[in-house]
Amino acid sequence: MLKSGDILQMTLKQNHKKYNCADIEKLAQQYLDNQLDENKKKLFNEHLEYCLPCDKKIEFELKLKEIIQKKSSHKEVTDTIKSKLSKIINDLN
Amino acid sequence: MSTEKQNEFSQLVDPHLSSLYSTALRMTHNQNDAEDLVQDTLFKAFRALDQFQKNTNFRAWVFRILVNTFITAYRKSIKQPQKVSYDDLEEFFLYKRLDETVSLQETSKEEFLENLFDDDVKDALESLPYQFRLVVLLCDVEGFSYNEIANIIDAPLGTVMSRLYRGRKLLQRQLWNYAKKRGYITDDFKTKS
Repeated sequence: MLKSGDILQMTLKQNHKKYNCADIEKLAQQYLDNQLDENKKKLFNEHLEYCLPCDKKIEFELKLKEIIQKKSSHKEVTDTIKSKLSKIINDLN
Repeated sequence: MSTEKQNEFSQLVDPHLSSLYSTALRMTHNQNDAEDLVQDTLFKAFRALDQFQKNTNFRAWVFRILVNTFITAYRKSIKQPQKVSYDDLEEFFLYKRLDETVSLQETSKEEFLENLFDDDVKDALESLPYQFRLVVLLCDVEGFSYNEIANIIDAPLGTVMSRLYRGRKLLQRQLWNYAKKRGYITDDFKTKS
């Protein structure tokens, strides 16, 4: 059975949990996609605050994600295509 | 003459037409096939509109139809995923490669990304095996959440995450290859000793 002292120890341990670089690598994808829960996100951000190499890597990955979004966005959807698609919708019955 | 159902459908689908077409283009590689795919998707979605529950996620619903239509139409021509080597696909692949190059010391890695051509990014995306391409498009380009993607491609969450992981690493490897081929990494490129 747990003694109150043990529980206190566990609580302290929990509160002082820190992510290391391996945790960052493991959780990077979920962080980039904003899929971490608040607690994990907080621990993740705390690590980035003091670990410059990880911070730089994550910053790069965020930028890459942004570039992929930007450079493959919907520029090729021309007005001709838009009007074709609108016509298809108008002809539905 | 437009009917009430038509108006309703039009209002729901209009904001997503560009996304649907763009995704179709990345999946089929050509304009005519992309138009056909979107057209089929619109027919099916219109016919199934009664099954769509109002005030739920129409965007994910219509994308699910697009993906199903794509897979049905291309089932025969979609090859089983090629044996792709994942051996060197470590986390932060591209960052680490760029970090190893001396010639990039003066320009930042972010600048390197900005200087990529749109076509490099599109080609790299289109070079991915379709299962990987699909999840990367849905997540990075169209901004769907993992749960939405799981629903759209009808696969467990774990599958979505592992495909996304592998897809992104393959994409990074491809971008790195383009960079070398097109001389973004200059001739004096050498690995740091």
